[in-house]
Amino acid sequence: MSDQGILTHPAGQPRQPVTGTSDPITTEVVRHALNSAANQMKRALIRTAFSPIIYEVLDFAVAIYDRHLRMLSQAPSLPLFMGTLNYAVEEAVKGVGGEEAIDPGDVLIYNWSYGTGSHAQDVVIVVPAFHEDTLIGYTAIKGHWLDIAAKEPYCTDTVDIFQEGTVYPGLKLYRKGELNEDVYRIIMANTRMPKAVAGDMGAQVTGCRVGVERFQEVVARFGLETYQAAVEDMFDHGDTVIRSFFEKIPDGRYVGKGRMDSNGVTPGEVPFEIALEINGSDVRIDFSGVPEQQRGPINCPLPSTMSAARVAITMLAGYGEPPHEGHFRPIEVITREGTMFHPVSPAPCFIYGWPALQAIEIIYRALAEAMPDAVPASSGGCICACVWWGEKEDGSAWMDGAPHPVGQGAWKGGDGGTMLHIAESATRFTPVEVWETRNPWVVEHMRLAPDSGGPGEWRGGAGIDFRFRMLADTYATTVFERSEFPPWGLAGGGEGRANRCDLTIAGKETENISKATGVLIPKGERLDFITGGGGGYGNPADRPVEAVEDDLADGYITEDFARKHYPQRVAR
Amino acid sequence: MSTRIAVDIGGTFTDLVYFDEKTGATVQGKVSTVPSAPEQGVETAIQTFVPPEIIADAEYFLHGTTVGLNALLERRGATVGLITTDGFRDALEIRRGDRVEMYNLFWHQTKPLVPRRLRLEVPGRILADGTIEGAPTAEAVSSAVRTFAEHGVNSIAVSLINAYVDPQHEILVEKLLREAGFEGGITLSHRISGEYREYERTSTAVIDAFVRGRMANYLQRLDGKLRDLGFTGQSLITRSGGGSMTFSEAEERPFETIMSGPVGGAQGASEFAHLLGDEQIVTADVGGTSFDTSLILRGEPQILFEGEIDNMPIQSPWVDVRSIGAGGGSIAYADTGGFMRVGPQSAGADPGPACYAKGGTAPAVTDGAAYLGMLGPGELASGITLDIDAAKNAIAQVASAIDQPVEKAAAGILQIAATSMANAMREISVEQGLDPRGMTLLPFGGAGPMMGTLLADEMQMNRIVIPPYAGIFSAWGLLGADMVQSASQTLILPFDEACVEPVNRILTDLLTGIRARGESSDAAEPSLRLDVRYLGQEHTLSIPVALDGERLGEEIPIIAERFREEYARTFGATMNDGLELTSVRAQLKTPLPKRDLVPPKDASPASGVAEIEAYSFRDATRKPFRICPRDQLGDGMDGPLIVTETVTTTYVDSGWHIRPGTHGEMILERSA
Repeated sequence: MSDQGILTHPAGQPRQPVTGTSDPITTEVVRHALNSAANQMKRALIRTAFSPIIYEVLDFAVAIYDRHLRMLSQAPSLPLFMGTLNYAVEEAVKGVGGEEAIDPGDVLIYNWSYGTGSHAQDVVIVVPAFHEDTLIGYTAIKGHWLDIAAKEPYCTDTVDIFQEGTVYPGLKLYRKGELNEDVYRIIMANTRMPKAVAGDMGAQVTGCRVGVERFQEVVARFGLETYQAAVEDMFDHGDTVIRSFFEKIPDGRYVGKGRMDSNGVTPGEVPFEIALEINGSDVRIDFSGVPEQQRGPINCPLPSTMSAARVAITMLAGYGEPPHEGHFRPIEVITREGTMFHPVSPAPCFIYGWPALQAIEIIYRALAEAMPDAVPASSGGCICACVWWGEKEDGSAWMDGAPHPVGQGAWKGGDGGTMLHIAESATRFTPVEVWETRNPWVVEHMRLAPDSGGPGEWRGGAGIDFRFRMLADTYATTVFERSEFPPWGLAGGGEGRANRCDLTIAGKETENISKATGVLIPKGERLDFITGGGGGYGNPADRPVEAVEDDLADGYITEDFARKHYPQRVAR
Repeated sequence: MSTRIAVDIGGTFTDLVYFDEKTGATVQGKVSTVPSAPEQGVETAIQTFVPPEIIADAEYFLHGTTVGLNALLERRGATVGLITTDGFRDALEIRRGDRVEMYNLFWHQTKPLVPRRLRLEVPGRILADGTIEGAPTAEAVSSAVRTFAEHGVNSIAVSLINAYVDPQHEILVEKLLREAGFEGGITLSHRISGEYREYERTSTAVIDAFVRGRMANYLQRLDGKLRDLGFTGQSLITRSGGGSMTFSEAEERPFETIMSGPVGGAQGASEFAHLLGDEQIVTADVGGTSFDTSLILRGEPQILFEGEIDNMPIQSPWVDVRSIGAGGGSIAYADTGGFMRVGPQSAGADPGPACYAKGGTAPAVTDGAAYLGMLGPGELASGITLDIDAAKNAIAQVASAIDQPVEKAAAGILQIAATSMANAMREISVEQGLDPRGMTLLPFGGAGPMMGTLLADEMQMNRIVIPPYAGIFSAWGLLGADMVQSASQTLILPFDEACVEPVNRILTDLLTGIRARGESSDAAEPSLRLDVRYLGQEHTLSIPVALDGERLGEEIPIIAERFREEYARTFGATMNDGLELTSVRAQLKTPLPKRDLVPPKDASPASGVAEIEAYSFRDATRKPFRICPRDQLGDGMDGPLIVTETVTTTYVDSGWHIRPGTHGEMILERSA
């Protein structure tokens, strides 16, 4: 591998000179006000959106940026969308002719995957904010649109970006407050679901405009100079908080190795490695050792690679604070153009989210080399998603899709629980009773699987067994990653079980369909989701006997498993 | 009108108000809460403030308590066994898969109230369309009873999949449990809730089974004490969803009271809003450890139908009151990066803020206020004399940690606390599509009137109303609580003419079920709400519908139009899609006799001091604040000003004008 095309990206931009001054109290009030502005954008979006994917699944990101594209605040939403929007704002502004071409009342639209970090369905709306006549920044919302004319509504088998949907390369949807009818008509002409798209687009515009009003009020209230001084102090503070965490970690280069089951198009696993370099309180995350961009859609565009790094680090070291640019400053990311984590056009990106969430886990795996008690063991390692559709007995069409919970990794001091992957932590899955009113199926069981969590002094969380019996012919697209690559334990803890999606048709052998598009499940046949368990932490022999006995009594583990992994029980 | 006594137990104080029919007087009082035996605080309050003849005359005793809630939070309840459908005993632990602290890698779900070994399964399955596949067996149930007996289970919850469609398997399991010899309490999920969502319904049933015994004991003990004191009227307790229920019904349905803590305040605000005629009110209840806010629109609090306590859902109506951990006791500290943060940690009742001189040394919001002179010269009605030096010493610690003067840090503590409170109020308003700037702020609770102008300035609001009895407003709100009973049933149908008959049938069933509880009077008025949504969406709106006797009294298209209007108001858009009915909600309400609102005749604490140097946030400096007892406001006065009364203190910053209103309230508006 040559050094050609290797690029270094600071994850957070530096301090800007200021003329005013602030103090810790004013700065704290400004910080609250900016977070409140982002949260109000989010409320306005949820309130006005048409699609459940926005108002229920929270498949969006909402953030406010300053003129230097530094993130001022962000409302909690899908973690994997966090901190991706600076590129989209930059490219959208470039697309319409740069800062000089921006006027108050403009609304920009942009969705080129390599600038948004997402598949093309994730469309970004950007609205500029002004103080008097000066551009002071932008509000931006990325939201998942139900359809923008990709080859199919959801794909795991695209081979280039142009199969994945219509491209909006940075356009003015509104000019000085006036709707640009030409752009609007092209958007409406390129979707299978124009009503939902119009509704959700309108909600994003409303949300961004609410944000601009609130943002402008914050600046007006404190005055531009004080506001700017407060923001620089706020960023410095975030920087300090993250650094105080990494100062405790020994310097060195730590490598985490990951694998994807396949790229979705050509068979065979896709191994990759991510290195973490700690130098004092500087953190460098090196993606240059990953494979070339893939023929199938598991390519993760740069903004989401940056996001994976930002999310992994701020979740760990940010003390649960809402993140801003300052938290990103200690982080530097290395990529190589033309690779799976920095693909270039026309690499397909539809299921970019799966490598992105693997990257988060692999960063933690690398960090564990340095400081195993700072991170949990691997979770089940996937969101175990299934999108399914068909016709009911009465001929009506139905469609549904969801991520499903997995076991979580144990950590020093705690057993893992069972919940959705942290990349989907804003979302909830649907109750069985609601499913059964909507979809032609019966859920035969939904149980925690015994022995599925890795053994350890602290044990991994259990995976779940779901069994669906179909009451009508059904088609399913499944994305269950890591079916070949079980969740790892840490510090002597054992592996959890791997994910699987099993199709059982009477008279045939059960088949694992963990990454498949449009598979038929005939009426009366069964689909099993076998979701992964979390890895264990610490030597199983150190687990207190009482805890092992409790696990046995509660059926989290079986006698055989206890005998195999917890010898201390017999010894007693 | 009728004489009545209300007692509201808070974390720190037990508040009492009574209304005397003969004189028209409303009398208030406060005693310390006795956490280990809350009914003793009630007894003390009554003995201290209510003359025996009033007790004897009183027709109603209205009670707000967190006894059930505390039992739940502190896990002091029954040993519960759970029986579920084969394959679903883990629904309680799997939940909906969400992570409550989104960014916390180490977050772990709350430990279920029933451990896995006591969650047992029985065969039999009812499908969503009512198809029955197998049935629970006597063998499975008696085997469960044996296991439960080994573990000392004294309360059983039964929650079977799709029991909302057809409860026959749950009823069968109850029968089999009794046949197998189980003698403890049994909670059947369909009696708790007729709504779908197995996790939420199971969680509610389990909570009910868990708190039932403790709640019944408490209510019986309290009722006994009331009788001993000479009370002969009816004892009522607040419901989470507003209104009140009899003690005996609460013993049967304790889950309906769990979230009732902040309801008294919202109810009082609603009653008062009707008097004021103000359309849009946001409440600010500032207590010692928490800040509660709610919206009162067109005189009514907002009701939601699924709540949550300690990450455990409860399928029961509740008044939408949002809480954050910010109050007079919230502690200021310097964080890792050298910024000052306030709360959520609180000094609580013990040791309390440093200025209470009860051993507290950490700087609380109240210390900031005391130091800045916002509470007046230092003698509180509750008998506490403020130790300003102690407040100063406490604030000095955090001030030096952030390298700021004490004065600046003290003001900062108040400002940061106000900012968090304002954010909570903005969110609850913006969710409803409302701009708080055009709304009226109604502050109450011990520290609410002190924070009023600070909050209004932060929110850019122009009108504040301090209600009468602001310091014990939640207890006052209880006095007006009507008796309410409710029940609901999931019914999923296209919303068209064809649902008229099924709705009427279910309405009859629900009302019959409520009446079968044996607690409703003949005077009870029925009402109906239908939960409706756009086809394909998950969000429903609960639409009030007129009745004709006890049948649907309106045409479906008219209800549909109301849904569309409400949807447009709430979500800012309408759609042309078809509508779907999801639930039928019935309620029986027995209004209590109305009472007049008599403004308090306040004997304000006579302070020798007429003026104090206090901090003005507007002017960012100390200024002379006049001190004026509430009954001496005359036609009104301009701030800066501090208004004193028995149980609270109102801080009026410069730039505000305060005047008495016609119903005993004080109205603050921006000075001309």
